[in-house]
Amino acid sequence: MRDHVKGGALTEVTFYILLSLYSPRHGYAIMQFIEEETGGRLSLGAGTLYGALNTLQEKGFIAPCDDRGKRKREYIITAEGKEIAEKEMARLKALIEIAEKIIGGVL
Amino acid sequence: MSKKYYRFYGGLITAQERWLNRMAAKGLRLISTGKMLYEFEECSPGQFQYRVEFIGQKSKKDAAEYRNFLEDMGYRVFFKNINLNYSAGKVVYCPWAEKGGRISTTSTTYNRELLIVEKEDDGKPLELHTTLEDKQNYYKTMRRPMLFGFLFWGTFAVIMKVWWVGILSAIFLIPLISCQLELARIAKQAKLTE
Repeated sequence: MRDHVKGGALTEVTFYILLSLYSPRHGYAIMQFIEEETGGRLSLGAGTLYGALNTLQEKGFIAPCDDRGKRKREYIITAEGKEIAEKEMARLKALIEIAEKIIGGVL
Repeated sequence: MSKKYYRFYGGLITAQERWLNRMAAKGLRLISTGKMLYEFEECSPGQFQYRVEFIGQKSKKDAAEYRNFLEDMGYRVFFKNINLNYSAGKVVYCPWAEKGGRISTTSTTYNRELLIVEKEDDGKPLELHTTLEDKQNYYKTMRRPMLFGFLFWGTFAVIMKVWWVGILSAIFLIPLISCQLELARIAKQAKLTE
């Protein structure tokens, strides 16, 4: 996953997955969360989600939950992941401020 | 009553996918697969949709994990062979595969290079890869074995001067070109969007 760590920008999909995992979710629930929150604009393919979850786990931004006998694997965001998500929020806020200055605020 | 059809698509992944979707549109649902066999049962026309995905680069463990993941999503999944080889105890070296999948045997990943994924039609298209970057990765992993096959048999044909081996080489050219075209299309789109 290309997450532009130096530039600080995450891809939209990465950011949404991190947000969805502030509470524990399994793959299908993540997909539903993203579709609902974006009103169906962003619909994530299962293959893309599978790859993204593996990459995020390798980077240590998310971790699998204690499964406690559940069949579907659930994930949760880590402290490191939260830090990345907060940085992204600040970056986007700054971007919106600049955009509003130039284009004008949303009425 | 189940209906049996015999087809072999090899590396023509989209052709196989289109055929399965045509069958589904006619009201036939896949229930089992063999080397060349596809067995269908009747369903209502257009009830199911299909995708065929190349997973030949994955290790046995990763392929099984991916399959479980897709099944948890509510899809039905079949393994399918890309080669037509009936020998038992086959061992192949795949330098283009991921770590853990480079030695492919009949008890691990050989004859399980493709996944057929089935989803009940809920009005949304069945797309497994949705971001440009992930699509790019997918076509790149698929291009590797095709390029390898093309070069391997091509070199063999030229060095040994056996013309019919050149046909083997040419077989890899079709999926190779379609991967290449797809990648070029994605690269163009990726310049402005993600």
